[in-house]
Amino acid sequence: MTVSKAFWKITAKNIGTIITYSIILIMFGSMNMSGNSTTVEYEAVRPNIVVFNHDEERGITKKFLDYLGENADIAEGYEDDDELKDALFYEQVSVVVDIPENYSQDLTFGRKPELRLRSSAGYVAEVSKAMIRRFVTTAESYAALSLSENVIVEKLDNALKTDVKVEVRGAVDASRYAKATRYFSFANYSILACVITIICLIMTSFNRQTIKKRNLVGGIDIRKMNRILLRNSCIYSALVWLLYVVVGFIVIGAESLLNMHGLLYVSNAFVFCIFATTLAYFISSFVTNTGAVNGIMNVVALGSSFLCGAFVPAEYLPEGVLAFAHVLPSYYYIDANNKIMLLENDNFDAIWPVLLNILIVLCSSVVVVIITNIISKKRQKIA
Amino acid sequence: MFWHNYKYAFKTLLKNRALVFWTLAFPFILAILFNLAFARLHDYDVFEAIDVAVVNDAEYEKATVFSEAIKSVSEGDKRVFNTQYIDAMKASELLEDNEIVGYIYIEKDVPHVKVNGNGSSETVLQMTVEQIAQSSKMIEDIAMTDIYRRAGQTVNIEEIYRNAVKIVAETEPNIKDDSHVMNVVSIEFYTLIAMACMQGAMLSVEMMNRCMPNISNRGKRVAVAPTRKSTMILSNILAGYTMLLAAVVALILFTRYILGIEYGSDMRLIILLAAVGSLTATTMGMLLSVALKTNESAKNVIVLIVTMVGCLFAGMFGGQKGLFDAAMPLINKISPVGMITDGYYSLLYYGDSARFTMDVVSLLIVAGVFFALSIRSLRRQRYDSI
Repeated sequence: MTVSKAFWKITAKNIGTIITYSIILIMFGSMNMSGNSTTVEYEAVRPNIVVFNHDEERGITKKFLDYLGENADIAEGYEDDDELKDALFYEQVSVVVDIPENYSQDLTFGRKPELRLRSSAGYVAEVSKAMIRRFVTTAESYAALSLSENVIVEKLDNALKTDVKVEVRGAVDASRYAKATRYFSFANYSILACVITIICLIMTSFNRQTIKKRNLVGGIDIRKMNRILLRNSCIYSALVWLLYVVVGFIVIGAESLLNMHGLLYVSNAFVFCIFATTLAYFISSFVTNTGAVNGIMNVVALGSSFLCGAFVPAEYLPEGVLAFAHVLPSYYYIDANNKIMLLENDNFDAIWPVLLNILIVLCSSVVVVIITNIISKKRQKIA
Repeated sequence: MFWHNYKYAFKTLLKNRALVFWTLAFPFILAILFNLAFARLHDYDVFEAIDVAVVNDAEYEKATVFSEAIKSVSEGDKRVFNTQYIDAMKASELLEDNEIVGYIYIEKDVPHVKVNGNGSSETVLQMTVEQIAQSSKMIEDIAMTDIYRRAGQTVNIEEIYRNAVKIVAETEPNIKDDSHVMNVVSIEFYTLIAMACMQGAMLSVEMMNRCMPNISNRGKRVAVAPTRKSTMILSNILAGYTMLLAAVVALILFTRYILGIEYGSDMRLIILLAAVGSLTATTMGMLLSVALKTNESAKNVIVLIVTMVGCLFAGMFGGQKGLFDAAMPLINKISPVGMITDGYYSLLYYGDSARFTMDVVSLLIVAGVFFALSIRSLRRQRYDSI
């Protein structure tokens, strides 16, 4: 009872840590959660484009503006050039188009007027530029035939109409689970931070020389005390998991989690909590200074989150980093979340790759427990 | 006495491992992690040929113009597609395994594209197939227009078609690209520098606590020591500031010369901003220490919260600075993290501009306000009991 009391007293003292990491999870884990649509219809990317038109809104220029309006979102309100430069830098605007004076007329007479563009760095900007090039190439091709402006506009209308049919394969849209995947992958950081910080603080407090000596001569058997500490640590980790599942239901929405996908997400997170608990025990087996706990936790939690794709999607990570990440259990936890997002069937064959990842995390926990025991035994002998 | 105390304050700071970790080691660790995680983020934006498949059946072979065009966009260094010619079953399998972005097939003379979902690569695939289909249509249209125009004359159909193909294939759009493309990932490192500056407030919290009789035993000794209080406080604060500035400058040099992050060309201005940012953090630490009658760790938590929330708004961890700016235009203008980040951004993007000057002046004003408030609280402080 005394040991449990001390455990929860230290936990309560550090409740701020749990709140802080939960807020971080809600703030960052719910960011960029635009994709949660259930549509299975194909939709092309619609870039944001700013147009400065110095020509009259008629003829080919009007057709060009209509074409841009159909294929992109025309952003307005950018009068200040610095504001526009910022928007280009932050990729809020993909392309800025400057249509010169008499553009339509000059194009009709085959003078090939110059169209000026400024673009951002993103891939979407390349799509936007290809879209603009398509229109201008088509218009200039017809202008080479010395046709009248009206005929060119008519032909442009016809040429730009597309017969290509685009279909989306399957009935499940992966973007439906993008929100949940982002949230549970980011939870890698929060789970590690909350579990390691609190358990390490408690263990280092109990392992402090003076306290340890007092406990050794105290009434409670040291093995019993360790069992109580382990039981309470497991309860604490389970509570952290429960907290993040409840927060997940609120942030993501129950409809994405009350199904097989949701069950896999929360099971994966539960197994990862087990791993975090074993890791916390491993760290506290050699850390004796409470002041060092925060530093070590941040290096472990931030390091694994950055290297395994919790903050930046794994496909953006360099190959060398990804190859190294394969030795970290966080990689398999995050990879399992990505695999859950792409699941189309509920049968065992489809789920097996996810289960395999969960199994790897579970096995890692066993390995960490074995190593911790070896270290503890050695330390006991030295003591 | 000032320099004597300064020297010992500096030495004791260096021996405080937790502070050294948070102000010196932690930003370096983050810089390395940022570099590893974001290294490919910018490259990813650069266009690369996308993996597609073509269903090579009788219908596809019949559409000779279309198949020739697909072949041409799948060849050479500037190719758009990495194309595999396979049967429908295999194409479907590859798409299911996410090994291709999509596959193309012809049905009743109409090109079809099958993809896994919506995205930039899928849009590129769709646009390219559309453009190919459009080119075939245009060749036909241009040739027919020419034939119609020459009604009554003897025409060489083959030559007209050759001419139409030439027009469509060789027309180069007159577009001038004035883009000044920069690496958006640099903003992550600017927020990191800002974070390193602002976390340095912990140093001045620690140094001020040493002089506060109601916070520490050392403060009680300082209060009764026959030394001017201002000398003790200023020398302590200056020691903290020196250590912080050295750490921030080291971080800038590390990110610039080892990690290759761009900051603009004028090193003096880069250091000036670091110095002013560190000064703001130091005065913020002073104010927190004086204004809050609580323990050191609670003050440090406040420093961390102010810093990390500021970093989030300024664009750290892939944060959407633009979105925050649109929703709350003032937030990055009053937050020291926002000002420091904006200062480095404007130094790189605009050079020595009015915007950079504005950021530096704003930081100095904030530092001045923090300092004045701290001094006001410290002056004539007397304790009935401690």
